[in-house]
Amino acid sequence: MISFLSLVLALLAAPLYPGIILKVKAFFAGKKGPPLLIKYYTLLKLLQKGSVYSTSSSFVFTLGPVVSFAAAIFPLCFFPFAGSASLVSFYGDVVLLFYIMGIGRFFTVVAALDTASPFEGMGAAREVFFSTLAELAIFAILILFYRLTGSLSLNDYFHGENIITLAGVSGALIVLVIVALFMVLLTENSRVPVDDPATHLELTMIHEVMILDHSGPDLALIELGAFYKLFFYAAFIIQLIFPFTAPFSILNMLLFFILMALVYVAVGVIESIMARFKMDLVPKFILTSFALVFFAVILTMGVLQ
Amino acid sequence: METLFLSLTVLLAAGILPLLGHRLFTLMKACYVALTITGCVIGLYSLCPISQLPSQSTLVVDWLHIFQLQFSLDSLSTFFLIPVFFVCPLAVLYVFHYMNKKAEHARTGVNFFFFNLLIIAMALVVIADNMISFALSWEIMSLASFFLVLHEYEQETTRRAGYIYLLFTQLGALCIFLGMGVGYGYTQSLDFAPLSTLPEGLKLWMFCLVLVGFGSKAGVFPIHIWLPYAHPAAPSNISAIMSGVMIKMGIYGVVRFYGLLDISSPVAGQIVLSFGIVSGVLGVIYALGKQDIKKLLAYSSVENIGVILIGLGVGMIGATQGNTGMAIFGFVGGLLHVLNHSLFKSLLFLGAGTVAKQTGTRQLDQLGGLIKRMPLTGKSFLIGSVSISGLPPFNGFVSEFLIYIGAFQGLVLGGMHCVFAMLAILALALIGGLAAACFTRIVGIVFLGEPRADNSAAAKEAGWTMTFPMVILAASCLIIGVWPEPFVHYAFKGVETLLVQTTLDEVLLLEITQKMALASQVFLGLFVVLLVARKFLYRGKQVQSGPTWGCGFTQPTVRIQYTGTSYAMSIVEFFRPMVRLHTHYAGIKRIFPSQASYETHVDDIAEQTLIERIVEPLLFLLGKLRWIQHGHIQLYIGYIIITILVALLCISEGPREILRGLL
Amino acid sequence: MINILEVILVLILLTVLLSLGSTRLMALVRIMVLQGVLVSLIPLFLKSHEILTFGSVVFYLAMVIIKGILIPALLYRAVKHVSIQREIEPFVGYHASIVAGLAVLLAAVFMANSLKLTLPEGRELILVCAVTTMASGFFLMLARKKAITQVIGYLMLENGIYLIGNALTQHHHNLYIVEFGVLLDLLVAVMVMGIILNNINHAFDDVDTTLLGQLKD
Repeated sequence: MISFLSLVLALLAAPLYPGIILKVKAFFAGKKGPPLLIKYYTLLKLLQKGSVYSTSSSFVFTLGPVVSFAAAIFPLCFFPFAGSASLVSFYGDVVLLFYIMGIGRFFTVVAALDTASPFEGMGAAREVFFSTLAELAIFAILILFYRLTGSLSLNDYFHGENIITLAGVSGALIVLVIVALFMVLLTENSRVPVDDPATHLELTMIHEVMILDHSGPDLALIELGAFYKLFFYAAFIIQLIFPFTAPFSILNMLLFFILMALVYVAVGVIESIMARFKMDLVPKFILTSFALVFFAVILTMGVLQ
Repeated sequence: METLFLSLTVLLAAGILPLLGHRLFTLMKACYVALTITGCVIGLYSLCPISQLPSQSTLVVDWLHIFQLQFSLDSLSTFFLIPVFFVCPLAVLYVFHYMNKKAEHARTGVNFFFFNLLIIAMALVVIADNMISFALSWEIMSLASFFLVLHEYEQETTRRAGYIYLLFTQLGALCIFLGMGVGYGYTQSLDFAPLSTLPEGLKLWMFCLVLVGFGSKAGVFPIHIWLPYAHPAAPSNISAIMSGVMIKMGIYGVVRFYGLLDISSPVAGQIVLSFGIVSGVLGVIYALGKQDIKKLLAYSSVENIGVILIGLGVGMIGATQGNTGMAIFGFVGGLLHVLNHSLFKSLLFLGAGTVAKQTGTRQLDQLGGLIKRMPLTGKSFLIGSVSISGLPPFNGFVSEFLIYIGAFQGLVLGGMHCVFAMLAILALALIGGLAAACFTRIVGIVFLGEPRADNSAAAKEAGWTMTFPMVILAASCLIIGVWPEPFVHYAFKGVETLLVQTTLDEVLLLEITQKMALASQVFLGLFVVLLVARKFLYRGKQVQSGPTWGCGFTQPTVRIQYTGTSYAMSIVEFFRPMVRLHTHYAGIKRIFPSQASYETHVDDIAEQTLIERIVEPLLFLLGKLRWIQHGHIQLYIGYIIITILVALLCISEGPREILRGLL
Repeated sequence: MINILEVILVLILLTVLLSLGSTRLMALVRIMVLQGVLVSLIPLFLKSHEILTFGSVVFYLAMVIIKGILIPALLYRAVKHVSIQREIEPFVGYHASIVAGLAVLLAAVFMANSLKLTLPEGRELILVCAVTTMASGFFLMLARKKAITQVIGYLMLENGIYLIGNALTQHHHNLYIVEFGVLLDLLVAVMVMGIILNNINHAFDDVDTTLLGQLKD
């Protein structure tokens, strides 16, 4: 019941946080910025509209938003928010989850190619390339976690006795994981410095350019899916930083949602103070995150236990 | 066993029929297809009870008075027979509309005959139970497939491909026979059973020899060179069977000999795993770099063989280290991937064949927009692509998932084993991502968007016998993905006969599979619910259609679409040292530039190295020996006599003693 | 709870990885400053070492000054003075370099485990760190074109040697004398390099070592 409740809360709250990023960016730019609830308004607006479809596209184009949304919402069911047990979990669920995200990406990319637009093809090519490398970093993280806990399930990582946390025995390694995971978060969710969703030039985008032709409720599904994906990664990081060992309570939940804002503020700060990388530097950036985690893995082998 | 041989007899009869009656073209095709399908259905029926019964059945036939042909059916053979009897009839059905040139009736008849011979030979390879019967069926299989590749023999490229294939398959067979010779030399018996008594060092040598031999058939990376030649040259139903089923016989050989030899050192597993990682990663990168759809699919076969070998390697390491979890998950994952790959790869080859037939080209960058013109082919191809990328809820994911679990369990081992397990996981992750890139590319460029050339704009859907097998295969991909338990169980039965020494427990395997399958089902359900919800969201809304947003550019043509080459280029460049990338750019010169051209192609590093380092020095060396060949038949007879004499001398006791002393 | 020594060693390893992946010369010099300071801090946290004597304090100070200030300053001057381009030109690409660094680290772990030296407690990581630093130093010298990166590689090699000394010895005085000698050699080497670089620059208008190939007969 509690798990279900926390899942519903998370689903409802996810669109709030990207508003925080906008606020932070506005703060740095010395502006007032849009209201915090801007993303809810955007979603409502999109849901009320109709759609325009390209004459080039086929049914695959309409599958894209649905599959990517399903793939974004599905992993949240497996996530133990704020120390509550996950709604569902089994041995090996993390592998499934990252592959589910993979199928979401597959259909986003295929839908982009369906429009016959050169720009969307370009974005698609970048997306598959960068996400492949990010997947490498993610599986290195899973290797490390398996060596630390002997488990392959999000629930075992973050819920119960033997949880992975910064304050634990191998805290030094977790620092590396947090940094790497943050880099993966920026990559997978197309944030600066990997991708700049706010740029005006389609040639330089990755994710935004792939969804250029979607409109109306389709676009709403994609946007909401993107919020959930970002929320998933942010929650992952928060669970690593702060151990929710105490039994589940409202206070815990509150603390969790406040801490979540931290990650988004960090994203906002990075977006404000950094420029987007040159495209050929992006693989290096992602590979660095992989190197950090793999480095931590090596340290678990025999030297640091 | 009797039913199985009945089905093989029916297949043989079905194969001989077109040889006799090829003049009545359509009738012959119909009879052939019907009879072959009947044969395969009987074959499938014969497998049904055995996979539940643990008892083995054996058949012994005397041959040429000195040899005994011995066949037996256990659950490992049964598992490998499933793709043979399931995929082959579908490929045969496909032929009905695919080979519809009446003028080539004789050739088609011969093709049908060899096709059935190939099916029979594959079945015999799997049930062969001693060296002589194995070698015999292996050679029949290789030769039958060689003639199938040569179907369009009047083309220079086809003949070249055929000879390359023959060369590799015979060199591979040489290695296998050499390995068997090592075994025979020690045990003095042609039976498989005594092989487990070999000393450990000898076992490893024998395993390495047969691994190279079977690897060349399966398409393991440095010795895969024949695949990208033979598959495009052969007709598509042939390449579907060769890539989907026949190369799995190489895997069967590796697995079978591993079980027979009962190796206790982890080196075998480490070798297999390393080959798997190299084939998997490089296979998919080359697949990304290729333009020809069938070449691309051939390289993707190399990749999938890599995935299978990773699974088997993980299993072997687990088995020798006493980590039964790792052994079970690795082996079951690897074996299941054999079945899965035979389904989706034959589906993709059939789809590629349909595309090539209906549009007249196999070049990626001349196709496009076919899903609207060939909806059934397009949808099945899409499903096949998702499956081969290893994404849930389709079958490719199930086997990769099991291999992942096996490899993760290997992380608790110490030292080198842990590193190998780690590399296996990372390689699988990399392969997964790259395969998704590769197959979004082929689906996106071939089937989506706008046609890039006139012939693909004018393409029509193919006849029902061509689309129906693809739909069946696509459906089976989904079925295994969503209800994998029985198939995992079959694969487990196969593993049980493989690892006789250790007691294996199926409970954990089935439990995890079940939960994973449940999650996949839930995901599928979620998808359907969302699809309905989307319909609901669009109720009463205005839906229009217009041109694609050109980002301000108002005069788009189909030529400005992203091409397959540029789609893959950044990835291929990333792996530069392992991939040779050549670009020819005749740049824009002068004030009024003439036509500029830009060309890029990806060369196989294994092939180039082979040519530079082995073939050319060998040609040079052999050129020096040209004087031996002078055209006098008398001297040739002299050579023969001398050879026989030398051989007879070698067979006498002396050298054998020396050999034994060395060992 | 957190072992400071281990943290420092992990940081050193990270600087090694970073140096393999860095694309800018100045960034590389900065990383070397950090690495130098971290390496010279190591002996302070070794358990078996005694309380600080006057001599050792002077020694540590000298170490930090030479590694953290003097050598980087010289390098900095060389970079500025010779107006070298900011980019490091690699023979082996950055991605491959990072992966190579990880492979070296992995190999180092195995080496440290298989050598089975009787090391004082907590020193295995120093050994791993030392081997990795040395090997990566060699790698930098091999895989980069510019003369100045070769000097930096040599510097890293020296850091590694110093770490090995720290891992293996109990009697620190002898070690430090030897080490000090090496360090002075290095200092001289960096100075000489500065002068040579200057001259190469005059002769070829670039400091690419591949150009030196033209000097052969």
